Amino acid sequence: MLQGILISAAAPLGASLLTACGSGTPGQPAGGGNSSGRKVINFWSQQFEDWQSAWEKKHVAAFNASQSKYKVELSIVPADAWAQKLKAAQAAGNGPDVYTISYGNIGSAVSTGSLVPLNGLIKSQYLDDIDPSIAKFVSAKSTPSSSLKQYAYPWLVEPSTVMFYRKDLFQAAGLDPDKPPTRWDQLPDIAAKLKKGSVYGLGTASVAADLSWSSWGLQQNAAEHYPVKTDWSSADPTITPYAKLAEFYSSLYNSGGMPKQALSAYADGTPLGQGKLAMQITGSWFIGLLRQQFPKLESKIAAAPMVSIDGDQTRPTATLGGWTLAIDAKSKTQDGAADFITYLLASGQSVMMDYFKASGWSKYAARTSIVKAIDADSAAQADPFRKIITDKIVKYGVPEATYPIDLSTDFATAIEKSMKGTSANQALATAKQQMNQYITSNKLAGTNTQASVQSGS
Amino acid sequence: MTGAVTGSTGRGMTELPRQAGVASAVPARRGSRKIAGRRRHRDNLIAYLMLAPVVILLIIFVIIPLISAGYLSFFNWSFYRASEYVGFRNFVNVLQSPDFLASIGRGLLFATMVVPTVMILAFLFANIARGLGGRIAGFVKTSIYIPTIISGVIVAIVFTIIYDYSGGVLNWFLGLFGIQPIAWLADPSIALPALAVPEVWMMFGLTALIMLAGVLDIPDSYYEAAALDGAGWFKQMTYITIPSLKNVILYLLIANFTASLQEINLPLLMTQGGPLNATLLPNLYLFNHFTQDTYQGQPIAGALLLFIVLGAISASIFAVLNSEKAVDG
Repeated sequence: MLQGILISAAAPLGASLLTACGSGTPGQPAGGGNSSGRKVINFWSQQFEDWQSAWEKKHVAAFNASQSKYKVELSIVPADAWAQKLKAAQAAGNGPDVYTISYGNIGSAVSTGSLVPLNGLIKSQYLDDIDPSIAKFVSAKSTPSSSLKQYAYPWLVEPSTVMFYRKDLFQAAGLDPDKPPTRWDQLPDIAAKLKKGSVYGLGTASVAADLSWSSWGLQQNAAEHYPVKTDWSSADPTITPYAKLAEFYSSLYNSGGMPKQALSAYADGTPLGQGKLAMQITGSWFIGLLRQQFPKLESKIAAAPMVSIDGDQTRPTATLGGWTLAIDAKSKTQDGAADFITYLLASGQSVMMDYFKASGWSKYAARTSIVKAIDADSAAQADPFRKIITDKIVKYGVPEATYPIDLSTDFATAIEKSMKGTSANQALATAKQQMNQYITSNKLAGTNTQASVQSGS
Repeated sequence: MTGAVTGSTGRGMTELPRQAGVASAVPARRGSRKIAGRRRHRDNLIAYLMLAPVVILLIIFVIIPLISAGYLSFFNWSFYRASEYVGFRNFVNVLQSPDFLASIGRGLLFATMVVPTVMILAFLFANIARGLGGRIAGFVKTSIYIPTIISGVIVAIVFTIIYDYSGGVLNWFLGLFGIQPIAWLADPSIALPALAVPEVWMMFGLTALIMLAGVLDIPDSYYEAAALDGAGWFKQMTYITIPSLKNVILYLLIANFTASLQEINLPLLMTQGGPLNATLLPNLYLFNHFTQDTYQGQPIAGALLLFIVLGAISASIFAVLNSEKAVDG
């Protein structure tokens, strides 16, 4: 009797366990799902600003309403959960059909065969509309002998290094708000002058995790190339320009104008909006934050290109980061996924113009036709930040480094060590040893799928 | 047995009734043995059935992944292309990585900061709480248990706010005495101790309650006898309390040591392993490689090596404390 009860109780438990274990992350494998006779396209997007999520939802619904063949299911994933969720899903064969991928990660995704080339899936007229300088960011060779193909469709670009400052605090410190500093050696003194009470003069990255990617623009500014060779065969961060870069960061950190512990992560411009900083180096995305959360401060804040090693502001100071959409190589609905990308990013102007308007013109277009449309838009023309950032920063922007982030972290650790007391040369010598050990251990030489877009040493 | 009974049939007549009784009892015993055997069989079946869900879960979530991880650690595991067999290269790479070895050393240092502090505080609390009665005891026990049920993520956020350089509660308090702000999470020399504080706070509640249960389990007669013999508080603690808590201390040492060595929430959310890797604990090292590496073999090899380290530490604690005697006692 008891046995019977136990067995009948255990059976549904076991069944439910097996059912639970058998279900994939969102409940179905990549593509091939079916919803009311329509093929399901799983679209995973990293979570960005609220207005961007609203824009995504609005246009996914519009796409679903526009045709009867496919149904896009949007999943918005928080940034801090993104990498592990995507990798776990891909390992289990449950990855999304379409997903957001940053420019810097396209190369490694191509090297592992994770992405399908868009040539042949998206009409060439739409691929040709991509700004030629940005088309390089999404182009790669899956093997050294393969032809160059486009593996993602650019969504936007945004410079990762912009100098934002409070004009009123400049005036209060006896500085001319219309003449922001242009050279590295001017910035520490200005940061010190701007420090008043609990308001610090300058905020920027000061730990390796932030410096690893936010210093790329200044690495290019100093040496006009990255410390890793284009073919990823070796690294040499010990050259003089990089020593000067490390010393520059050290001079900022020890100027007295910068807090010893960053008031926020590099990407978060909140301290400037809160009035805790007089200047903050962060990405152009701060403009969106400023307008959404601190609108009263907008008239008091100006943007300028980051200071340059020698004051020449035609040298690059920022990388052009940003996001693209790519199609998973295992997707069973690649045609539908390509149709969706075409609808959202590549064809017409209304959808993308709606996006850039919603961004408050704080993002920058990657398509030639959209750039022209924005230039012709009176509201965009009147935007005080857009012209400076487009003409003085985006114009000279460079692609992000595409080699593994561990190498950038080793380099950034040298900068951080220099900020915290170690000599620049000694710190960079250690970085050189670590970077080359990583390259050897992981057999990186010759594995760069984007050698044609990198400017290595 | 049966043969022995039948072999006695040559004895006197007087024995016959007994023999007859014995003979008639044999089938009865056989029957009762059969019943007992069936009962045992049924009990075993029930036990196996009750164990089955746990065993199935262990197989699915521990045994199979462990075997699978061991297998995959010999490959450059790719999700999209055929994985490349690399032999022991992933293990060699991990062992040659100064960051991994340093993270293990740092994890041990972190555990050394946290575990003795928690154990001493919990022991003191248990001895104080033992003397409390009624509502006060209930209130105190509930209060100290609260940090245990708070998410590690929330704790990390709360302490990040406390340690904030400009506007943090701690620097504000120090500022009242004219002390300049301290970069609690950006100074490599103090970042790890700064993370040890919330770790102690989180671990203290459960450790203290388990310690209290152990203290309450010690019979009062031990202390009464010791007091009659003139033993004071210190001798009672040394000769009665601590030896009687040996099992509890052993469990708490192993559980807390492995938990603090594996801490990831606090460094991930509060410092991202910085400054200058000063808070890069082993699991965060592995997590970073899991999320950043192009191939997954190396993080898996690192995880297996960490598993060996944790096992070795647990075995060492067992060996030092000579647990068998205590468990039997």
